[in-house]
Amino acid sequence: MNELIEELKITLIDILNLPDVTPNDFDENVQLVGGELGIDSIDVLEMVVMVEKDYGIIINSQEVGEKVFSSLAALAQYIKENQPDSSS
Amino acid sequence: MNTGRVYIAGAGLISPLGHGLAATEQALRTNRSAIRPLDLFSLLHGTPLPVGQVNTLDNADSPPRTHRLAGNAAIQAMTGSEQPPDAIVIGTTTGGILTTEQLLRDKVDNKDLYRQHGLGTVAEYLAEELNCDGPVLTVSTACSSGAVAITLAMAMLRRGSYTRILAGGVDSLCRLTYYGFHSLQLVDRNGCRPLDAERRGMAVAEGAGMLLLTTEKPVHPLAEVLGAGLSCDAYHPAAPHPEGRGALEAMQAALADAGLDPGDIDYINLHGTGTPENDLAESKAINNLFTDPPPLSSIKGATGHSLAAAGALEAVVATLAITKNLLPANTGLKQVDPALDLAPLTEPCDRSVSAVLSNSFGFGGNNGSLVIAQADTFPPPADRQPADNGLAIFGYSCLTGAGGTRATLDGLQEGKKPAGMADLDVIAENLPPRLIRRLKRLPQMALSLALSAHESSKIPRKPSSIFMGTGWGALSETYDFLTRLAETDEQFPSPTDFVCSVHNGPAGQVALLLGATEANITTSGGDYSFEQALLSADLLLKDRKETALVLGADETHAVFSPLLDPSIGPETRLADGGGGLHIGRDREGAACRVRIPFFRRLGAEDVISALIAALGGQERIQQKYILVLVGIPAAMHEQGEQQLKRFLDRETGNTPVVRYREFTGEFASASAVAAVMAASFFETGVIPGTLLKGDDMLLADQSKRILVLGLGQHISAMEFFRP
Repeated sequence: MNELIEELKITLIDILNLPDVTPNDFDENVQLVGGELGIDSIDVLEMVVMVEKDYGIIINSQEVGEKVFSSLAALAQYIKENQPDSSS
Repeated sequence: MNTGRVYIAGAGLISPLGHGLAATEQALRTNRSAIRPLDLFSLLHGTPLPVGQVNTLDNADSPPRTHRLAGNAAIQAMTGSEQPPDAIVIGTTTGGILTTEQLLRDKVDNKDLYRQHGLGTVAEYLAEELNCDGPVLTVSTACSSGAVAITLAMAMLRRGSYTRILAGGVDSLCRLTYYGFHSLQLVDRNGCRPLDAERRGMAVAEGAGMLLLTTEKPVHPLAEVLGAGLSCDAYHPAAPHPEGRGALEAMQAALADAGLDPGDIDYINLHGTGTPENDLAESKAINNLFTDPPPLSSIKGATGHSLAAAGALEAVVATLAITKNLLPANTGLKQVDPALDLAPLTEPCDRSVSAVLSNSFGFGGNNGSLVIAQADTFPPPADRQPADNGLAIFGYSCLTGAGGTRATLDGLQEGKKPAGMADLDVIAENLPPRLIRRLKRLPQMALSLALSAHESSKIPRKPSSIFMGTGWGALSETYDFLTRLAETDEQFPSPTDFVCSVHNGPAGQVALLLGATEANITTSGGDYSFEQALLSADLLLKDRKETALVLGADETHAVFSPLLDPSIGPETRLADGGGGLHIGRDREGAACRVRIPFFRRLGAEDVISALIAALGGQERIQQKYILVLVGIPAAMHEQGEQQLKRFLDRETGNTPVVRYREFTGEFASASAVAAVMAASFFETGVIPGTLLKGDDMLLADQSKRILVLGLGQHISAMEFFRP
């Protein structure tokens, strides 16, 4: 799980172009969308594409999206629970 | 006699419903949807999404599909007219991209085949087909382009310089818009159901709508364009303001322009795309403006959303409503969303209609509303068109290979040629990193130019309108979008790149940053895009108190630019940049002023004679200009030099002539840098000798002017002078 969180930190900093954030100061529990990071609806769509591309999980409802992208920890949890090859 | 009335003398359209007024009327009367799964191009994966595809167009290979759609509608609109139009104003977002996409997939590197990629080539094609040698303008404000084109044409007609203008909008389906809107999750897999409780989005579509507008009353006018209103949400790059603020302002402005009250409107043709956000925002704006809204509907459940064509197509449908007493139904609607608190027409309805309000809203928060009315039914509009007396310049900025304004202008003085490409961190020097984290080269340039021009101003006013000219738009985003689409076998297009790829994205970003909520117009006419932006500003800036930014910028892209821009050859040193002017009507506090005495397409007749006449004749030209800055794009070298020779042969004075592209390098909006050079010389009072290959020249004589001449495919003149 921690490995996944660290991996996601690096991915999000890259795909969302967060220039002044490092993996070390990326708090996985902080509010992701609409929070201090300035992440908005276009970023959410970019993350939706990433989750499908990298983890094979499709998120196509706003309700699910809101839950999944509430924090980086929630995103990691969702990916872990829904990964096609996940044993949990 | 010009009464200020703008009549619709002819109208044409081609849409998924068919082509021509009769076929469209018949389709609308049957309330049928033409939305079907895409089959225009093949997909690598998945079931084709429902789209609005035109099936009544020939399958010719050339010119590109957008051009052919435009040509089809234009010929309809011109039927019965013997004279060519005096000018053409077209709104488009796709240009030749469908063809370009195919060429890129086939790895074709013959640049001749990419000649009709640029947005401006659609209007050029029409001008060629219709023998129009007047000005040809192209606007690209995403989904409001068609309405904005009609707005600009109306302003040109009201000013009285032209009698007949062909105006409209066009877009073809292409992978960029098909996958782009899909990546934004804005496409309804079940077709498009505007205003429905179950609506899930839009259907991307194509089409063209054209109007022949005239101030000379036709024998049988179809209708009148009575008013137009523009606004900008300045809220988000892609989503509408949730309360419909910009939508409301555009409708209010259109009604005020038409001299009508909300109660005078008999029918509203909604933007109504079918996305949850648009329809909700639009309903709030409508309910804000109308205590008891008239019958209303969106036809996008029938046609899909034809993007830049939509505003023009729907202006033609508004014309049909008036001439045929036809109120179209809100096709696709089963159960209206109670949250909207609207009662759209569920069936087509026969009713006499005097005035229609037609809405178009687009990415970047670019909004346009039109009032189309029965001819001669309402009083003619009061004369609110500003006279052609020039614009005051309060501040300026530029970007070149040398860097920002000071680096460029100081460099010029020291004899350096600033041509080149500045590093991105130099461009972004004055921009907060968070603001630009998603933005690539062109929007960063636009923001940097906008902030610098505003900050350099001697007056405290904040610009409320933004006009931006760009020859090629956001090439990096377009290239990256198409590349990732291809690399992921069409599975993972980037929503960010799509939103940022639209030509009006940069101007929308500027509006967001500065809170500029009035007109927001992006023009794209190749090497004359900046001139078109300045012309648009001059046409639309009414209020003496209001100020605007006029920007011209282009990014040069290592792959795309050599392929697309005919002026860039294998040996050309890549260069880009742009310029910005903070302008207004009130000349107090101005550094100098600018007017555009001449802007015309190269026609058969002696255009140079016409230019000389417009500048006041040979003698006057010799007296008034101290410097001529000439822009001849490399691709038009021979023709441009001949034009210059003809101009100079008759203008026998000793006015120094400087070919400014030697200094700026080759890029479409180089003329914006030349404009900034001219403005700066008035501020310093000195023309650097390094430009003249001689001594510095003082601008001591208060009456002297600087001419910035654009030659080649268009002939343009910008004249700078003391306030």
